[in-house]
Amino acid sequence: MDVTLPKLGEGADSGVVINVFVKEGDQIAKGQAILELENEKAVASVPATAAGIVAKIYVKPGDKISTGQRILTLSESGKPAGAPVSVEKKVTQASRLPVPVEEEDEQVSTVAPVASPSLRKLARELGIDLSRVRGSQSGGRLGTGDIQAYIAHLQKASGKAAPASGTVAAPIKQAAEQIDFSKWGPVKKKPLTPLRQVIARRMSESWSTIPRVTQFDDAEFTQLNTLRNEFAPAYEKKGVRLTLTPFIIKALVETLKKHPIFNSSLDEVANEIVFKEYFHIGIAVDTEQGLIVPVVRDADKKSMLELAKELEQLAQKARDRKVTAEEMKGGTFTISNQGAIGGAHFTPIINKPEVAILGLGRGAMKPVACDGKVEVRMMTPLALSYDHRVIDGGAAARFIVDLVGALQDFEEAVVKI
Amino acid sequence: MDSIKTEIVVVGAGPGGYAAAFYAADLGKKVILVEREKRLGGVCLNRGCIPSKALLYATHQISAARESEHRGITFEPPTVDLFKLRAWKESILERLGGGVAMLAKMRGVQVIQGRGYFEDSQTLRVETEQGQQFVRFETAILAVGSLAAMPKAFDLGNPRVMTSTEALEIEEIPENLLLVGGGYIGMEMGTVYAALGSKIVLVEALDHVLAGADPDLVRPVMANVKKAFKEIRLKAKVTKMTTAGKQIEVEMEYNGQKLTELYDRVLVAVGRVPNSADIGLKNTKVALDEKGFVKVNDKQQTNDPNIYAIGDIAGGILLAHKAHKEARIAVEVINGENSVFENVIIPAVVFTDPELAWCGLTEAEARERGVKYEVSKFPWAASGRAISFDRTDGMTKMLIDPETDRVLGVGIAGTGAGELISEAVLALEMGATAKDIALTVHPHPTLSETLMECAEAFYGHATHTVSKKHE
Repeated sequence: MDVTLPKLGEGADSGVVINVFVKEGDQIAKGQAILELENEKAVASVPATAAGIVAKIYVKPGDKISTGQRILTLSESGKPAGAPVSVEKKVTQASRLPVPVEEEDEQVSTVAPVASPSLRKLARELGIDLSRVRGSQSGGRLGTGDIQAYIAHLQKASGKAAPASGTVAAPIKQAAEQIDFSKWGPVKKKPLTPLRQVIARRMSESWSTIPRVTQFDDAEFTQLNTLRNEFAPAYEKKGVRLTLTPFIIKALVETLKKHPIFNSSLDEVANEIVFKEYFHIGIAVDTEQGLIVPVVRDADKKSMLELAKELEQLAQKARDRKVTAEEMKGGTFTISNQGAIGGAHFTPIINKPEVAILGLGRGAMKPVACDGKVEVRMMTPLALSYDHRVIDGGAAARFIVDLVGALQDFEEAVVKI
Repeated sequence: MDSIKTEIVVVGAGPGGYAAAFYAADLGKKVILVEREKRLGGVCLNRGCIPSKALLYATHQISAARESEHRGITFEPPTVDLFKLRAWKESILERLGGGVAMLAKMRGVQVIQGRGYFEDSQTLRVETEQGQQFVRFETAILAVGSLAAMPKAFDLGNPRVMTSTEALEIEEIPENLLLVGGGYIGMEMGTVYAALGSKIVLVEALDHVLAGADPDLVRPVMANVKKAFKEIRLKAKVTKMTTAGKQIEVEMEYNGQKLTELYDRVLVAVGRVPNSADIGLKNTKVALDEKGFVKVNDKQQTNDPNIYAIGDIAGGILLAHKAHKEARIAVEVINGENSVFENVIIPAVVFTDPELAWCGLTEAEARERGVKYEVSKFPWAASGRAISFDRTDGMTKMLIDPETDRVLGVGIAGTGAGELISEAVLALEMGATAKDIALTVHPHPTLSETLMECAEAFYGHATHTVSKKHE
C-alpha cells in the first residue's frame, strides 16, 4: 500500500523534503517518523500512516511534495510492489511541459550545459544553475530567451508561493558579501542545517516586521518552589516529574484571560485584531539541532498533572526531532524558559503571528526590601516582549504586574492531586 | 629596507603571467611584474612555442623546395648558414619580447627583473642586479612555469645531451641524433633536425607516439615521420648514456635486445617539471601535489588566500593558451567577479608535418566517460584546396552526439590544422550542432570547407564524398 503525505494543517498543503529517515527494505511502524519536511512553519517530521516493509521510496531530499502525494510504498513481504513507472513518467513529463525544467533531469547528461561562453558567464553571475534550465535551440542549446523564461518562471513561482508559504527557496539570493575569515586565523566551516535556516529566516522575519518592546520584571518564586517541593513526590508516584513550567503556564493563562490582547494576532490584510478564545501555549525547547517550539493545546482546560505529563512528552519528542508540523502549529503565546540553563533578563523575539512572548531567566537569591526590611528572596527574572503595533506600554505593564501576582500567589488547590 | 607596496604582484612573465599583469592593470589595479630573465615572454617566447615555430617554418622551406621538382620548379640543393638562421630566429624573439615590455610600459605595469622569493604570504623578495627589492603585495599571481625535464640518469653534464631548450639553439647539425620521447615537443624538434639533414632515431617507451591524439589522426603524421626519420623504435627504453669522446654512447632495450650505439647528440624530450622549488613557497600556505605542481581550485586559488597560480605551475595541460585563460580567471576572481575554470575547451596543436590539432572529446575520452558518439570523417583527398598544393594526407573528423547532433569533439590532421581548429573550438564553446556547421557557408577553395563537408557527411550529403545517410 502507498503512504501519502497526510494533511499538514490549515493553509499548508506542501513542503520541501529535508531528510528521508527510512530506506527501502526497512520495517516501519505506524506513526514512525519517515521523513522530515520543511513547510511554512518549521521543519517537522512526518509520521507513517501505516506499518509494513518499505518497498519503494518516491521522494528524495530537496523534493517539493504536497498533500496526497505518494511518499513510499509498503509491502508485507518486502517485495517491491509493481511500481507504476508509467504514471510517474507521465507526471514528470507533464510538469516539464513549460519551458523551464524544475526538477533535475533524470538522465544526467555526461556533457555540461550547452550554451555560449558569454551566456554561461551571465548565468554564473546571476547564480543560475544552467543544468536546471532546458535549452530550446537545436541540440538542446540554451539561448538568452531560455534564461529569461526561467527567471520569469522563478519569479512567478516565488511570488505565488510567498503568501502561502515562505519556504520556496529564494531563486536569486541577494549577493551577500563573502568574507574570507581565514585571512585573520584558522577557521572551520559547517553548512547551515535546514532547521537552522528555518530559524534564521523566521527570526529575521519577526525582527524586521514587528516593532518589539521588552518589559522586564522579577517574580518571587519562593512559594512556587515550596509548592513544587511539596507536591513533587505525589506527581512522581504518577510517573511525572513536576517542573516549574506547568505553574508558569497556569499563571500565564490566568493572566491572559484578564488581558486577551496578549492572546491575539494582527491580521494585516483585514486590518483586524483576532482575539483567540483558546489558549495554546508554545514552549521553546532547546535541542541539539536548534530551537523547536511545540504547542500545548487548551492549556486552560488541562490539569497540572496533564500539563506536566504532556510537557515531558513534548520535550522528549522535540529532542528526538519527532514533533510533527501539526504539533508546532496554532500557538497563541510562547514561553521561553531559560531558568534551567542560567542567565537573567533577555529580550525574546516574538513568535510570529503571536503578539507576545514571555522569557524567564534563572531564579536567584536576591535582597528585596519588604516592609522596610531587607530580606533575601528567590527572584526569577521575567521578560515580556510584545508587538507594539497591537499592545501599548501601559497594557504590558499591567499584564506583567498581574502575571507576577499570579505567580507569587499561586493557589495550592491548582497543584493538588 | 624599503619595500614597494602593490595590489598585485605577478611572478613570472610568460604568456600566463604577462596576460594576468596586463589584464589586472586594464582593470585599474596597481601591478608589479617580476621576471628573472631580461627578456619577457617566458618559455613560450624564448624557448618554446615561438622559436620552435620559427625553425619549423625555416626548415620546411628545404623540403618544400625539394618537393616542387615534379611541378617543374627546381632549386639548387640548399645550404644552411646556422649563424644566420639563429640570428633570424633571435630577431623574432627580440621583437616579440620588446613588444611585451612596451605593452607593460604603456599600461603602467612596473617590471622588476630578478628572481622572486616569497618571504611570507604578503612579501616577495626580488633579487635584482642592483640588490634586494622587497615587494609587499595584497595578492600574488604565481606564474613561474615549468622546465624541460632531464632525468638524472641522462644528465651527464655534456652539452651533447640536450633538452628542447638547447636543441632550439642549433649549435650544430648532428649527423646522428637520438630523440628520446615521442611527445609533441620531441616530434616537433625531430621534424626540424630531420629537415636540416640529421639522421634521427626516435625512441618512445609507449607503443605509439603523440599520446592523447586519436590514432587515425596520428597516422598521416607517422607516414611522413617514417620517411623523414631513420628509424622509429616504439616500446623501447634508454637505460644508460655515457660520454664517448665527441659522441654519446647510448644503451637501450628494444625488441627484447640490448643495443649499444653511438650518437653525435641526444635530445631528451620526456616531459616538463614545475619551477616550484627555491621560490620560498614553504614560507606561504601554498600546497604542492606529489609532482611539485601548485594545487589550485577552479578559481585558480591556492591554499594561501593571498596567492593564485596559473599556467604550467598550476599543472594540468602545459600549454600557453591554457595559461592565458587561467590568467583571465585569476584576475577576474581577484577583481571580485564570479569566474571559474569550468567547461573550457582547450585545443591541442602539434606542429609536425602535417600538423595535428584537436579539441573537445577524443574518441578515447568519449569511450572512457561513456559518452555516446558517432564519428564523421572527411578525407582531404576530396578537398580541392588540399589537392592544389599536393597535401592530400589530411583528415577532418568530428565526434557527434547521436541524439542531439551536437559536436562533441573535432580532430584535424593536415597542413594548417592549427589554424583550422579554432572554428571547431568556437563551435564547441557555442554548443553548435553538426547541422549548424553544415549550414554555415565556408569560402571556396579553402581547407575550412573540410569542416563543413565533414558535418554534411554526417547527414549523408557532403558534396565531395559519398557517405551513408544519417538522419
